[in-house]
Amino acid sequence: EANMMNLSRSVALISLFLLPLLSFSFSVDNPTDRRVLVLLDDLSLKSSHSIFFSTLKSRGFDLDFKLADDSKLALQRYGQYLYDGLIIFAPSTERFGGALDSKSIADFVDSGRDLILSADTSASDLIRGIALECGVDFDEDSSAMVIDHSSFSLSDGDHTLIAADDLVKSDVILGKTKIEAPVLFRGVAHSLNPTNNLVLKVLSASPSAYSANPSSKLSSPPQLTGSAISLVSVMQARNNARVVISGSLQLFSDRLFRSGVQKAGSPNKYEKSGNEQFATELSKWVFHERGHLKAGSLVHHRVGETDEPAIYRIKDDLEFSVEILEWSGRSWEPYVADDLQVQFYMMSPYVLKTLSTDKKGMFHTSFKVPDVYGVFQFKVEYEKLGYTTLSLSKQIPVRPYRHNEYERFIPTAYPYYGACFTTMAGFFVFSFVYLYHK
Amino acid sequence: MVKSTSKDAQDLFRSLHSAYSATPTNLKIIDMYVVFAVFTALIQVAYMALVGSFPFNSFLSGVLSCVGTAVLAVCLRIQVNKENKEFKGLGFAGEFDSRQYALVLLGLVHRDCELGMGINWSLFPTANTIN
Repeated sequence: EANMMNLSRSVALISLFLLPLLSFSFSVDNPTDRRVLVLLDDLSLKSSHSIFFSTLKSRGFDLDFKLADDSKLALQRYGQYLYDGLIIFAPSTERFGGALDSKSIADFVDSGRDLILSADTSASDLIRGIALECGVDFDEDSSAMVIDHSSFSLSDGDHTLIAADDLVKSDVILGKTKIEAPVLFRGVAHSLNPTNNLVLKVLSASPSAYSANPSSKLSSPPQLTGSAISLVSVMQARNNARVVISGSLQLFSDRLFRSGVQKAGSPNKYEKSGNEQFATELSKWVFHERGHLKAGSLVHHRVGETDEPAIYRIKDDLEFSVEILEWSGRSWEPYVADDLQVQFYMMSPYVLKTLSTDKKGMFHTSFKVPDVYGVFQFKVEYEKLGYTTLSLSKQIPVRPYRHNEYERFIPTAYPYYGACFTTMAGFFVFSFVYLYHK
Repeated sequence: MVKSTSKDAQDLFRSLHSAYSATPTNLKIIDMYVVFAVFTALIQVAYMALVGSFPFNSFLSGVLSCVGTAVLAVCLRIQVNKENKEFKGLGFAGEFDSRQYALVLLGLVHRDCELGMGINWSLFPTANTIN
C-alpha cells in the first residue's frame, strides 16, 4: 500500500513538472502548428496519400484523421481551439458532420490558424464556398477540368494530367532548392481576383491551358484560360493565418509523388516528379515552419545617449534600431534582409530610411529629425512576399526650438552689431573731445 | 548762361564755406559727430539693400541707434549754440548730463534689439524666431 501511495505521488509530481512541456498548440514563442485535423471523405486517402502524411508526422505534427461527415467533429471545445491546422482533403463532401460548417472554418482561419484545402476533379459547393471565403474562385462548371494540349504529361492520354512548372519565385514559400521536375496536376481550375493582394498564385497554368469538360465537345470558348488559371494558390490573411488551396487532390497522392514526368514537347525526362518536394515545402510554409517573423521593441535615442527621450527637438540627430527574428522551425534565428524600412511618420512619412543590419537580427539607422514639429511615429511596415507582415509603430512628440536654443549671434547681422559698437565708441570719443577741447 | 550758373554755384559754395568756418569749434565737433552717425546709418541701409532685411530687428537697432544719437547730438548743438537766445541759464553741465542720460537709455534699448530680442524674447517670439 505504501508503494502504491508513493507511486501515485511521484506520478503526480512528475506530471506537474511535465505539464508546461505539454503545450498542445502554437504560441508566440513557438509559432509552428502542433495539432492538425485532417478531414477525409474516404479513409482510403490515408493510404493513397501516405507519403505526404508521413512527412508531416516525421516533422512533429500530430495528425488527427477523421471522416468529413463524422458527427463528433468539432474545432473548438469550451471556447478553446483543439487544433492549430486543418487539412481538408474532402472534395466531394456536401456537408460536414458535427459542429463544422463553412462559417466555423472561416472563424478558424480568422483566429490565426492555418488551412490546406483541396478540390479534385469535382468540387462540392461546400468546398467552393470555403475557397470563396479565402478569395479563390473555382470554375463554376462542375464538370470542367484543366486541359492543356501542350503542357501535359506524356504518360497520360487525354491531356488532363498537366505537367506544370510555372512556380512562384519565392524561396520562403517553396524552399531554397529549386524544384527541377514539373509538378503533376489533375483537377479543377480556379482564378484569383486581381485586386485581392492577400492571395497569390503558387502554381500557375501555362498560357495554353483552359478549363473545360474533357468528355464533351466545346460549344463556346472557355471562360478560364491561360495563366489566369491558378492550379495551387496561397492566401496569407492580415492576421498572418496561411491557407493553401489546391485544385487537385491527386497532386498530394503517392502515385504522383513517385511517378516520373516528361512534359510534352520537352526532351527532359525526370525520374521523379516535383510533387513531393512541392507539397513538402508548401506544407512547411503553411504551418509556419518558415517565413514567420517576430519583432522586438523599437529602440530610439539621440546620438550619443542611451536612454529614450520623452520628446525630441527639431533637427536633433537620432538613432533607431529594431530587432527582427525569423523562426527556423525549431528556434528563433536572426533575420537577414536589406529591404526593411522605417518611416518617421505624421500623416505622411517625412523620413523614409532603409535599415542596415548587423546580420545578428538588429536593424538600425540614424537620421536628423525634420524641421517640423508635432507628434510623429516611428513606423515599420513590412510586407514581403511569403513572410508574415510586420506592422510596428512607436509614438514620439517633436518640439520646436526653445527661445534660448536659437543661434546667439546671426552672422548676417554682424555689420549692424559693428555699427552699434562704433556708435558707442564714437560717442565716447566725441564726449572726451567735446568736453576737453580748447 | 551756363557759365554764370556755374560761377554762381562756386560763389555760393565759397560763401557757405567761409560762413561755416566762422562757427565755434565745439559746434564743429558736434557737427562731425552728427555726420559720422548719419554716415554709419546710411552704410547700414546700403547693406540691407544688398543682403535683404533679415534679421530686421538687428537692422532697426543699428539704424535707429545711429539716427537717435545723431538727433540727440543735434539737440545738444541747438542748446549749446550761443546764438540761440531761448536756451539760457541751463548751464553747460546740464545739457550734457541730460544728453548722456538719454544716450544711456538709447544704448540699452538698442542693445536689446541687436543682441537677439533680450527682454522681448520671453514675452513673445518675434518674426526672427521662426525659421
